[in-house]
Amino acid sequence: MKTVKNVFRRKLRAFLTIFGITIGIFALVVMGSLAEKITLLVNGGTRFYADKVTVSQGGSAGFSVNPISVDRIPAIQAIPGVRLASAGITLPLDKEQSASFGVPAMISASDLRGRNLESFKLTYSQGRELSPDDQGKAVVGADLVQKLNARVGGFIKVRGRSFQVVGILEKTLTIPDDAVIIPFRDAQNIFFNDLPELVQKNINPDMLATGLTIYPKPGVNPDKLAEEIGKKYPQYDAIGPAKFQQQVTNSTHIFTTIVFGVALISLLVGGLSVINTMTMSVYERTREVGIRKSLGASDGRIIRQFLGESAFIGAVGGITGLALGWLFVLVANKAGEASGTVIFLLTTRLAIGSIAFAIVLGVFSGLYPSWHAARLNPVQALRYE
Amino acid sequence: MNDGGVILRVRALYKTYELGKENLVRALRGASLEVAWSEMLAIIGPSGSGKSTAMHIMGCLDTPDQGEVWLEGRRVDKLKRRELNHVRSRQIGFIFQGFNLIPTFTAAENVALACEYAGMPRRKAKAAAARALTGVDLGDRLSHHPSELSGGQQQRVAIARALVNEPAIILGDEPTGDLDTINSREIMQMMRDINKSTGTTFVLVTHNPEVAATCDRTVCMRDGVVLADEECRPG
Ligand SMILES: Nc1ncnc2c1ncn2[C@@H]1O[C@H](COP(=O)(O)OP(=O)(O)OP(=O)(O)O)[C@@H](O)[C@H]1O
Ligand SMILES: [Mg+2]
Repeated sequence: MKTVKNVFRRKLRAFLTIFGITIGIFALVVMGSLAEKITLLVNGGTRFYADKVTVSQGGSAGFSVNPISVDRIPAIQAIPGVRLASAGITLPLDKEQSASFGVPAMISASDLRGRNLESFKLTYSQGRELSPDDQGKAVVGADLVQKLNARVGGFIKVRGRSFQVVGILEKTLTIPDDAVIIPFRDAQNIFFNDLPELVQKNINPDMLATGLTIYPKPGVNPDKLAEEIGKKYPQYDAIGPAKFQQQVTNSTHIFTTIVFGVALISLLVGGLSVINTMTMSVYERTREVGIRKSLGASDGRIIRQFLGESAFIGAVGGITGLALGWLFVLVANKAGEASGTVIFLLTTRLAIGSIAFAIVLGVFSGLYPSWHAARLNPVQALRYE
Repeated sequence: MNDGGVILRVRALYKTYELGKENLVRALRGASLEVAWSEMLAIIGPSGSGKSTAMHIMGCLDTPDQGEVWLEGRRVDKLKRRELNHVRSRQIGFIFQGFNLIPTFTAAENVALACEYAGMPRRKAKAAAARALTGVDLGDRLSHHPSELSGGQQQRVAIARALVNEPAIILGDEPTGDLDTINSREIMQMMRDINKSTGTTFVLVTHNPEVAATCDRTVCMRDGVVLADEECRPG
């Protein structure tokens, strides 16, 4: 193929240009995979928080570790519109939480009072769900299986305590993937141990929870209900689906911005290097363009010839960038599985999108040089040495 | 077509090049010329007299500041870019001093390119190129690159390329200028034969009296105008 031949006429230059695009697309694929994972998490979270209100004390988005007392439940259930309130505990799996992307691994427990009302259903790839009278049993989220070395019937260590695994969750691509679900009573004990001694003295461990999940009566707007509860108990954060949505979109905006930033930078760097290469290429082949024009080549023919070359550069750069990005995501996720943090998700739309982006970038950057070549005066071009 | 037996008519061409503000080069100052169908015409004249400039304008590679160019009875000096491309690809063949072959293309590809620009599909173009190259005795050199051919062979590829679309006229700007005497004679003989057998019109710029002598008629350029052969002799 003449296009390929022409592009690689200057091998080093061709490789450098393609490499520039490769890096850009690589960055785009990696950052994009991160954003896709986050988006999925958020969408899952949105489903998770639909149709209910979570109440916690201080903290944000219901991940607070300030205690809230279970004996509040009767009073809250008395609020009109509340169908049922259920207590739950959410704690970091590792006490010393290191900062990380995505969601940190969690311990999750519930008094299970609301399990028949829950619209977010978990499915089990192995074993069974916890029942209210289980003790010392655990259900493990899909992304934590490897880290905790979990199998049904075997034992795992959670905060130094031994739990027998009774179930393993199907991958949900959102929060439960990074959670270990244990009985409420066991979680209360762990939580109690986490508290400062001073607090411990004044608290009954049986009353401990980190949050309440409130299921509204049919037809009651959960956001309105959250507002009412917030008014009645100003010391609590009552979060309905709309508020949750708002909180997470703020944080996903950052990721979208980063991805767009990376796209923009790769557009600039890759685009400029293609423009540079194509301009050089047209310049070096001025005489050839003159010959072609003397033979009656139309402007369109000349433009197509050079555009074909720049599109080819874009496509090769895009494919290698995608391949490298895919490899990176694969390796990083494999490594992440061991520590329970799978943070990349390379989706089909991202893969196709980044290749298309690279080709469009190549074509777009080739436009001016090609147009310039087509407009050359044939006599001057022929005279060019 | 019907222009009194004239294939190419040029009337009072003017072309001025501007080199900086004050430095004007008046390359053509009212050049006029008529070329008859199937004629083989030589243009001679001192360096800088405007021969190449005139050839470029006659070949629709350039436009004059003033004057008219009529090709096969049609005025071509004011055509649009698109129409000029069309004329160049189908009605005119060019042969240059420096051969002007694309170095990365084989002989066959160089010739086929002209066919493709004239609108021929790729497969047909290949066959036509092979035929044209066989016609200039290069049937065994189809896949050679220009760097693998002698000067005379390269110029024969260029002749094949100029001929392949069967234009009525071929313009040559010093086609033998870069060739030695033997190759020069061979190329001249080849063009003469083509002219005789196909009736293709040739207009050749040359410094070589032997080349001029092979042609049917010679005109001379001086200071941007065309003179009859007799007026050329100094004195
Ligand atoms: N692109 C250009 N810009 C400026 N001046 C030019 C250009 N092309 C030609 N000229 C000038 O126009 C004049 C005629 O040039 P042209 O090339 O037509 O001469 P020529 O008769 O072909 O000469 P030669 O026999 O040396 O090829 C010369 O003085 C030349 O310097
Ligand atoms: Mg000249």
